Amino acid sequence: MKKIESICIIDDDRITLFGIRKMLNLIVDCNDISSYVNGKLALDGVKKRFEEEGNVPEVIFLDINMPIMDGWQFLEEFIKLPIEKRVRVNIITSSIDAHDIQQWENYRKLTDHVITYNNKPIKKSQIAEITRKA
Amino acid sequence: MPREPQISTYNYLIRQLPTATAFINKKFEVVHASDKWVSYHQLDTANIIGTRIDTLFTKLDDQREKLLRDCLMGKSHEAQVDYNINLATGHKWFEWNCKPWYDEKENIIGLIIQTEDITENKLDQHRLYKAQSLLSTIAEVSKIGCWEYDIVQDDLSWCEMTRKIHEVSEDFVPTIENALDFYKDGYSKNTMAMLVHEAKEKGTSWSEKLQLVTAKGNEIWVQAACMPMFKNKKLISLTGTFQNIDDQIRSEAKTKENERLLRTLVDNLPLNIYIKDSESRKILVNKAECDYLGVANPEELLGKNDFDLYDKEIAQISLDEDIKVMDTLTPMLGRETISRKKNGEITTFLTSKIPLKDNNGRAKGLVGISLDISNLKQKEEELRNLINITSLQNKKLVNFAHIVSHNLRSHTANFSMLLEFLVNESDESEKKKIINMLTDASDNLLETLENLNQVVDINTNVNLQKKPINLYSKINEIEQNLTAFFLNNNATILNHVSKKVEVHVVASYIDSILMNFITNAVKYKNPEIDSIVTLSTTNEKGYTILSITDNGLGINLKKYGDKLFGMYKTFHNHADARGIGLFITKSQIEAMGGKVTVQSEVGKGTTFNIYFNEKN
Repeated sequence: MKKIESICIIDDDRITLFGIRKMLNLIVDCNDISSYVNGKLALDGVKKRFEEEGNVPEVIFLDINMPIMDGWQFLEEFIKLPIEKRVRVNIITSSIDAHDIQQWENYRKLTDHVITYNNKPIKKSQIAEITRKA
Repeated sequence: MPREPQISTYNYLIRQLPTATAFINKKFEVVHASDKWVSYHQLDTANIIGTRIDTLFTKLDDQREKLLRDCLMGKSHEAQVDYNINLATGHKWFEWNCKPWYDEKENIIGLIIQTEDITENKLDQHRLYKAQSLLSTIAEVSKIGCWEYDIVQDDLSWCEMTRKIHEVSEDFVPTIENALDFYKDGYSKNTMAMLVHEAKEKGTSWSEKLQLVTAKGNEIWVQAACMPMFKNKKLISLTGTFQNIDDQIRSEAKTKENERLLRTLVDNLPLNIYIKDSESRKILVNKAECDYLGVANPEELLGKNDFDLYDKEIAQISLDEDIKVMDTLTPMLGRETISRKKNGEITTFLTSKIPLKDNNGRAKGLVGISLDISNLKQKEEELRNLINITSLQNKKLVNFAHIVSHNLRSHTANFSMLLEFLVNESDESEKKKIINMLTDASDNLLETLENLNQVVDINTNVNLQKKPINLYSKINEIEQNLTAFFLNNNATILNHVSKKVEVHVVASYIDSILMNFITNAVKYKNPEIDSIVTLSTTNEKGYTILSITDNGLGINLKKYGDKLFGMYKTFHNHADARGIGLFITKSQIEAMGGKVTVQSEVGKGTTFNIYFNEKN
């Protein structure tokens, strides 16, 4: 089993949160999996940790449609953080809106972080594929 | 010449002759002359005796001299010679009447010349000749003939032109009866018969346009005129003119017909047509223009300018156009113009103004042609609105499709994920947990479907029955229902809506709309202060606007403005927020033909303006 230092899951749907966490438990060795139900809470959490401990999750699973702060708004703020190491952000969404694909293309160009776009439902094999260091 | 002295004794007698008389000898020398003869020629008696007559004032030409010589020789008993001379008092014509002068033995010893002043005769002759040639020229040029009827002799004569007009042969002899026969049966013949009869009886004069059929069978219009001639107060003849006016009558008829055709055309075109003079006053209007300006008779519009007929501002625009068209001599074609009559009635026209030039090429006015396109404009406007609505609807539909797709996909994704877990799970307690989650997922799916149904319902119920509802009472009713909610949240509602205001709404929608906005206002209150919700109304172009203002948290419209009314969008970390309320509320407002706007400032509060459509 590959070893990941820290993983973060951001989704307002608790079933998805449960699902991803369950799959991760089967495929990676990670003692630090945190989860948030919207972009705002996630940003606050990540920022706090970055400021206090100086590290950020290696892999982030990010939903798009969320209340208060959605996935894109989170990404907008996240890429502004002065993080030196590359983070892998896996977008997991049920949206097939062309607009969202366009957004993904835009953000990919704006940052050094690795950003992938994945549609729900997500399978265990896919999770295994995208859960690795950037 | 022994006799001469004898004669001289009669010299004084000859001088007194009442006629101008001269005696000449065979050498043409004057022997005697009456005083009258001398004065006729303005000569001096002393100088003439013994002088050749032809050296006195004129030289006799060969022909005249021969006449005189023949007379002297006894070949003829009389000779007439005429001549003219220039005298101090003017040009004179004289005529000699010569007779041989015999002595007692019947020998011709000279000529006795009686001279007559025929100047007046000559002049009359000249005048007559001139008048005759003028008359024939006139007849030839104007095709005017003449005729004369001698009543006493019952004799009708026609001049050449009159004969020509009748197209008769050279040997035709006109009579009153056969002349009458040329007139066309009916009105023309009857009229002429009566006129001739009256003229013969009463000596009336007349002039009439009648139709006749010529000898060659051509039907023509003629103008016949008659003047009675009297002698010693007795009517002796009728004379008159006769003219072929067929071309004239036909061209007049043609002109009239063309005019009528043009008038019919101009009056029946579905266009407003008018002609203006150089001062922009109307000098011709068609029926459509009269109808448009609400007058029965075109006379009522003639001479009027645009300031008399239209609103001042419009009249000035029109006048400026007129001046430009006439100054530049360039037509203004198919311009969209707006006309506003004094009563405020507005019409949109497609107007053309074409300059009218005088013979010197300067503008003397213009022709205006206006097509009423008000209906077209209205249709265009309606069409544009329809396109806007359609594109909006289309956008909503696409948006809705995405919402549906997203929502269903997220639920089905959960199902498939959970089911996969379940299949591979052996731990019983974990299995139970997964099954509980499946139940939750199923419930969520149902709720989502219900929400979607509600939205579809609002958007498909296009023929909603709107009824007038008193807004003040309705707000009070909602307030009653929410009493406990207001108490729990320390909230106050201020109903500033006038008791008279009525809005046309769908009953079930207004409940949901008011409930949603009011509870939202309280839900997202500023925890530091008590919530106050104020409701008031204003009016604007066919809308009654209800404003609902709170002193709550406010919304960052820059960030969330475009998502505020979106489905499943929530902006506050609030337990009750489902992100469906505003979406449905907005759909309901729009389904009733209204709209909703929002003003907000974070930390200060929010105002929602709900537009109720009162037009339809």
